[in-house]
This record gives sequence, structure tokens and C-alpha cells, in this order.
Amino acid sequence: MKSKLLLAATLCISLCAFAQAPAASAPAAAPAALTAADVKGVEPPKADLRAKGDPDGALTGTVSDVAVADAKAGLTIADVVNQVGQNKIAINFVWTLVTGFLVMFMQAGFAIVETGLCRAKNANHTMMMNFAVYGVGMLAYWLIGFALQMGGVGAVGNLGGSPVLNSEFTITLFGKTFGLFGQNGFFLVHNGAYDVAVMVIFLFQMVFMDTALTIVTGSAAERWKFAAFLVSSVVLGAFIYPVFANWAWGGGWLANLGANFGLGHGYVDFAGSGVVHSVGGLTALVLAIIVGPRIGKFDRDGKPNAMPGHDMVLVITGCFILAFGWFGFNPGSTLGASGNGNLRISSVAVNTMLAGMAGTFGAMLYMWMRYGKPDSSMSGNGLLAGLVAITAPSGFVNPVASVIIGLIGGVLVCLSVEFVERVMKIDDPVGAISVHGANGIWGVIATGLFADGKSNYGGSWNGVSGSVTGLFYGDAGQLVAQLIGVSALLGVVFTAGFLANLVIEAVIGQRVGAKAELEGLDLPEVGALCYPEFELKTR
Amino acid sequence: MVAIGLLVTFLGFLLSLFSLTLTTSTGGRMGLVLAGIAISLTGIIGIINRAYVKNAIWKR
Repeated sequence: MKSKLLLAATLCISLCAFAQAPAASAPAAAPAALTAADVKGVEPPKADLRAKGDPDGALTGTVSDVAVADAKAGLTIADVVNQVGQNKIAINFVWTLVTGFLVMFMQAGFAIVETGLCRAKNANHTMMMNFAVYGVGMLAYWLIGFALQMGGVGAVGNLGGSPVLNSEFTITLFGKTFGLFGQNGFFLVHNGAYDVAVMVIFLFQMVFMDTALTIVTGSAAERWKFAAFLVSSVVLGAFIYPVFANWAWGGGWLANLGANFGLGHGYVDFAGSGVVHSVGGLTALVLAIIVGPRIGKFDRDGKPNAMPGHDMVLVITGCFILAFGWFGFNPGSTLGASGNGNLRISSVAVNTMLAGMAGTFGAMLYMWMRYGKPDSSMSGNGLLAGLVAITAPSGFVNPVASVIIGLIGGVLVCLSVEFVERVMKIDDPVGAISVHGANGIWGVIATGLFADGKSNYGGSWNGVSGSVTGLFYGDAGQLVAQLIGVSALLGVVFTAGFLANLVIEAVIGQRVGAKAELEGLDLPEVGALCYPEFELKTR
Repeated sequence: MVAIGLLVTFLGFLLSLFSLTLTTSTGGRMGLVLAGIAISLTGIIGIINRAYVKNAIWKR
């Protein structure tokens, strides 16, 4: 009986090898050809053996667990092959869903980082914005955003190749097809979107979109009207974010810059330095400009005043939660753990860790050298900056490049915070513009510099065969594609966000009144104090 | 001024976009795209933000 179990195991392993490995890497001893008789002869463990329990796990998960299509015909090779295929897709489903769950938990990290960096009198308002944006963003994305982003993405091989998301609105420009937005999948039922693979894609993409939305709440914190915040978030989640994400990830024109214009592999953004973080960071810049600085942030001569947050424990704990969630953000962006080069998830995860570490050191050392002390909140922002910067390149670079990218990110966030505050006279209480906007753009550019051409996700990327290769490894065209993506972020995402929020400013008004701001927004905006037993200062 | 700033910011993107058809050389495209990015940044930092800072709450 044991020999038959071994035969079953060999059979499965052989089929896996046939399905996934190129001929050149097959084992030296070629497996014997399978026959129907081999399959028929495999028997499940005897009932009396199973009745004794299975402490070492040798009897659980055998031929008796393989679904048989026709009970009369018994187990066939077709049954086994189908089971192998479903196992591969099941692994990828579980991987993508679980990493999506990790990304969802990043909302908690953002909430407490932002709240900790704000003053106690606005704590409930800041928490409520971060809490509300999850549901409001999801609703907007379910209704409209998902279809605009992914409605024309086509079959995703790692998730079973479901063909239902197949309608992209396109125009012809310069003699080439430019995809602008998807048209299938509204409400997750439209045109066959009620599909198990589509649900996986929706969940994973939804939590990414929500990450972009929650970035914005930080830069406008402590003076943003709650109603205006809700409307602004709906616009970002339903229209602006999905359209740019379509261009990069949904089969849109940026992704096809390689296929259409010979620019590397087109715009490449593995997990969203540009799509998620730059979109969120640039919208944060829009809001910080329109809403204006908090009362007391700048003196009459323009000199900035420090307005420290009320709880560094929240801030640093939130940074750890975000770093943990980033293991979903980046490695999960393979959309699978089995097949098509997806074992590179280990490399992606390690790159993510290393860049975060380097970002922390970069910021900590910069602050120590410049101001004489290692600033804890900037060290936390350095961690996040390194993580943001590695998000786009994480799937395409090696560990040394990851450390360099993270280190530059950590220093860049400090320089950017100083520039935003001292030169632009913009008040960004949590540093969202610098962490996500500046470092998101750095991550996009870094991909075009450091991609080493060693990754191989099924032999091609964005319809261009071969591996993504940056300027330092010989492909200047890839850097051009990345820079065009940056230009689209600045020229289209910023402009569209600004126009939308100007309309909201005219209709609702973006900023609370001075009295409410001075007293704190907890009572006037959300009706309850976060710390009712504390006596809070009014300034 | 804000409207002009938004226009300049968008024009920067258009220059980058038209680099795809104005030249086929990678170096030429890179130069045009970098110029486009610089124009967009000028629109954001030099025009739009400056217009808001001129009437900022702390100047009143």
C-alpha cells in the first residue's frame, strides 16, 4: 500500500514538473510515462489504518482527496491533471487573499501613525477619517472604480485566466492604441464579473486603493472638514486613482509604452510606488495647498513652528504595523506563489525588509548629524520612506540595490520635509507629501535605474518578452518609460485632483472654522472627545 | 494664477507625451520628458503654491 502512495506522490510531482518547469531544468532521470493503469492502481489508505489516527500526517491528503469527474470510470489522468491545476490556482488564490488581508490591516497602522502625530484635541477626528475612508473608499471602488481600473485587464494567468475583464476604452494616438479606462465589472456583477478570480483581484486591488486614500487624510489633518473629506475621498477612489491605476496595471497606455514605442517593458510599477503612494502623496499635496496651514504653524514672517504630535507610542507602533503590512503589499503583488517565476516572492520580501531598514538608518543618521539627536518620528518616517521607495522596484532589483534605494529614501524624506515646510510654506502634519509623494516618485525612477534583468515572471512583462532591465544594467528606454509615468502623475493626477478639490471647496468648503480648529475638531466635527477625562490645551 | 498654474502643470505632461512622436531616439525622448517634468513642477511649486502662499492665513 505504501508503494502505491509513493506512486501517487511521484505522479503528482511529475505532473507539476511537466506543467511548470522548462525542459532544460527537468530532473536528469526522466519520469516514466504515465498510463491510465498507473492511476487506476492507486489506492487510498486502508480504513483500519485511518481509524488509528494519523499522528505523522502520512495518511492525510491522498488519492481519495482527488476529485473524480465520473464515478463509474474511476480516477483518470484527466482528474489528476485537473487537480494539479486547481492546486496551483488555489495556492495563488490563498496567497493573494492573505496578502490582501495584510494590506487591509495597514489601515490600522496609518490611523495610529497619523493620530499620534496630531494633537490630542484632534485625535478622534483623525481616527474617524482613517476609519471612514475604508468604507467610503470601498463603496466608491465597488460601484465604479474597480471597473474603470481593471475592467479591461484581460486574463490574469496566475489566477486562472478568467477572461471576463476584457473591455478597455481606447483611443488611437500617434498611430498606436492608448487604453484609457476599463468598462467591465461594475458592482462586481456586470458582464460576468461575478467570478471567483475577479473577486480575488477586487479584494487585493481594493485594499491598495484604500491605502492611497488614507495617505491624504494625514496632510490635511487637524483642519479638514469631515464632509469635504468624505466627498474628496469618493472622487479619488471612484475616478482619479482607478484611471491612473488602469494606465499602469489595467492594460492602459503607460503599461504599453514598451510594446508600442519600444521603451523597455513600458511603465513598470511592481506594487505601487507610483500608483498608490505617489497618487496618494500628490493628492495630499493638493489638499495641503487648498486647505492651508494650521493656525499657529507659521509666524507672520513665515517662520515655521513645531507642532509636535501627542503620542509617539502610537506613531512607532503604527510604523511597525505598516512595515508588517508591507509584506502583503509587495510580495503579494506577484498575485501568486506558484508558477510563472513567483518563487521570487522570497526576494521581494527580503528587498522590502532591507529597504525599510536602510530608510530608517538614512533618516536617523541624517537627523542626528544635522540636529544633534536621532529624531524618533523622522526615523519612523524614514522606515516608511524606504518601504515606499522599494514598492515599485521590489520585484526587479537585488538586495544591494534595495539597501541603496531605501537609504536614499530615508535621507530624501528628511530633505523633502524641510523643503515642503520651509520653502513651500506648506503644513503637512504627518509628512505624507514627503513619505509618499516624493519617495513614491523616487521608487518609480529607481526601478528604471536598478532593475537588474534577473526576474522572470513567466518570460515577459507588459507584453514585452524578457526581464525588466534598468539604466544601470543597459536599458535607458526603461528609465524613459518610468519618467513618462512620473510626468503623468504630476501633470494629470495632480491637476485632476486639484480641479476636483477646488469644486468641493466651492460647494462645501474644505476647511473648518477658526473657533473649531482652536478648540479641537473632536467635538465640532465628530461629536465626541477622544480623551474625555484629559484636560486639553486649546492651542 | 491658479488656473495658469494648472495649465502649465498639464502642459508639462503634454510635452512628455508628445516626446513619443517628436523623436524616436531614447536620449531625445528623455530630454523632452525631463523638460516636461520640470515644467509641471514649476506649475505646482512656482505658480500654484506661490499663489496660495500669497494669501496664506499666517500673513493676515
